[in-house]
Amino acid sequence: MTSVSAWAKDLFATPLAAFLTLASGAFMAWLGWHVLSWFVLQAVWPWQPAGACDVQSGLCWPFLVEKTRLILFGTYPFDLQWRASLASLLLLTLAVLTGFQMIGRARLPVLVFVAIWMAGLTLAVLLLGGGALGLSSVPSVFWNGLPILIFLAIAAIAGAFPVGVLLALARDQQTYPILRRFATIYIEVARGVPMLTVIFVGVFVLPLMLPTGTFIAPVPAVLVALIFFHGAYFAEDLRGGLQSLSVGQREAASSLGLGYWQTTGLVRLPQAITRSLPSLVNSIIGAYKDTSLVVVVGIHDMISTARMSFNDPDWRTQALEAYVFVGLWFFLSCAFLSAIGRRLQMERETDQL
Amino acid sequence: MPRTFRIWDAVAVVILFGLAVLLVRNVLLNMQDAGLEPGFGFLLGQAGFDVSESLIPYSPDDSYARVVLTGLINTIVLAGVSLVLATVLGVVGGLVSVGPSPAGRMLASGYVELFRNLPKILVLLIFFVVAVNGLPPVREAISLGPVHISNRALYLPTLEWDRLLWAPILSVLLAAAIAIGWRRWVLVRFARTGQLGPIAPVTVGVLIGLPLLAVVVSDVPIIPSTPELQGFDFQGGVRVSLQFAVMAAMLGLYHGAQITEVVRGGIQSVPRGQFEAASALGLDRRRTMRLVVLPQVLRIVIPPMNNQYVNLIKNTSVGIAVGYSDLMSVVGTVINQTFRPLEMMLVTMGLYLLLCVAVTSLLNQWNATLRRREGKP
Repeated sequence: MTSVSAWAKDLFATPLAAFLTLASGAFMAWLGWHVLSWFVLQAVWPWQPAGACDVQSGLCWPFLVEKTRLILFGTYPFDLQWRASLASLLLLTLAVLTGFQMIGRARLPVLVFVAIWMAGLTLAVLLLGGGALGLSSVPSVFWNGLPILIFLAIAAIAGAFPVGVLLALARDQQTYPILRRFATIYIEVARGVPMLTVIFVGVFVLPLMLPTGTFIAPVPAVLVALIFFHGAYFAEDLRGGLQSLSVGQREAASSLGLGYWQTTGLVRLPQAITRSLPSLVNSIIGAYKDTSLVVVVGIHDMISTARMSFNDPDWRTQALEAYVFVGLWFFLSCAFLSAIGRRLQMERETDQL
Repeated sequence: MPRTFRIWDAVAVVILFGLAVLLVRNVLLNMQDAGLEPGFGFLLGQAGFDVSESLIPYSPDDSYARVVLTGLINTIVLAGVSLVLATVLGVVGGLVSVGPSPAGRMLASGYVELFRNLPKILVLLIFFVVAVNGLPPVREAISLGPVHISNRALYLPTLEWDRLLWAPILSVLLAAAIAIGWRRWVLVRFARTGQLGPIAPVTVGVLIGLPLLAVVVSDVPIIPSTPELQGFDFQGGVRVSLQFAVMAAMLGLYHGAQITEVVRGGIQSVPRGQFEAASALGLDRRRTMRLVVLPQVLRIVIPPMNNQYVNLIKNTSVGIAVGYSDLMSVVGTVINQTFRPLEMMLVTMGLYLLLCVAVTSLLNQWNATLRRREGKP
């Protein structure tokens, strides 16, 4: 109880503290009142008739009851939505497993880990797209809502990681100046332009660059663009890790007779990755959140399916409900990633002490 | 060292060259199929579409080049306004989050957490939906004195433009130059003779006095232009579109949250000993902050701020989602009309790069000045 009373005493310890307390208290009360009134006081509960939503200004549960499935899966064939759910579940499991691997709660050997990832991604694509093993084919334009969001985010991050490693290694070395120059230019340009321009390049320019007559659907085109875009960011995080290693590591490895690839693969890279994990997690959170920008080029992620849900003439005024639902999903999933990031940061700081 | 054959350099050159040749060949063939000649000549053609807002005279009869310029100017203005907003919010947030009040600290960390865990496009759309549904139509606009708010736009009072207004505007610049010069001279004299002169009073005096003098001498007519409801819309004053307001609010709050963290980290990284040493020297709280802590915070904070500003500029491109006519959004329309994605994307990415490089080099220069002042290389 002493800490609570000390805390309460701090609230008005000095005139400045008192002013700040009153100002932020007033703001929080104002905000809290609005939130409470929208979520509870003015809310229309699931068992109430939907017509009440036109009268009361709060959260309209009947809308969410009817539209949640649409927001989650969009136009994915209704009977096959179990496949989309299974694919999402699989991808989320992969993500959680990776999180545990990062903070050391799961300790899979690297090769097993990579194999699980490849198998998981393949299976997810198979579940979503079908066309084999007796699963009927679903074109990628129908992969909507939650599945496409996590598929694009996770596949892009997974694909961008090796790209980032190669770019970081190319930029970090001294032996091949031209290679280093190329990597530097690539990284700096990719980091200097908005992600939307890169998505546009993927959707509009990439098809032009393919041989005449070949066709690439928007989803794979955007995936390619995202991989090359995030790769540049990961490269910079990893380069930070590589640069923080002491020269002694490299010298010790080569005095043991290890060549470049052995030194890199067995000695430097594992340490560099561990050291750059906190900043990598930050980049991953950014990449995941920014995946929602694909809505601009007509890929129906959750923001787009949310729009579908309130474009229904019966539910025109329920836009906020739909967006808050999507926001809640992002908030929870990002909070999980942030928690991992904080954990890594803490470990990092205790290591340094 | 003997020049060795650098195998991976050669491989990189060969692969990239080969790839470039292949891609260019494909692009040329594809464009030929579509009956297009690659090149930038089409930029002079008539655009034929209108933009939601423009700060330079623009009509659909103008060229594609002009519409791109319109978008670029919109992007720059939006970035400038949001940059100031985000910085103010971030500095206030950062100070509150290390401040003496626990309630303030709680609010600041809640603010940071909320915006860290939401995608900016979702924040933008939520703001937009709330503004469009929550605010009244133009004819029933909320009026706060001369400011009017509707679900289409914000209407602010301004001054009736007159050519003579250049006099006070230029006099402000002149006053700033004089103030900087005076400050430098005082400091130089202080270093030489140990005599201190007044800096703050002279600065304030010049900055207020000179423009006032300019107004009186030039006899410029000061006529306020206030927005008045006439028919279906407001006349007079300045109209700030809802899209712009929502974009600025989103960018300000989103990056303000990140800058809050930057500022908090910067202040917390100043060792306790610095505070103690300053108070041992007899400096009061204000001087400790101004002379000891802030210069160090500034140095730590500039590189991450640089990052934030570049990200903010890039994030203005999200405006396309609410139909704000920024660079990205007009380019999207131009691509749809002309089917010239390659040329347009080269132009667009080049322009964004240029903007980012400009801001970065400006801040880097300032950083270098600060370091030099501290005698660091």
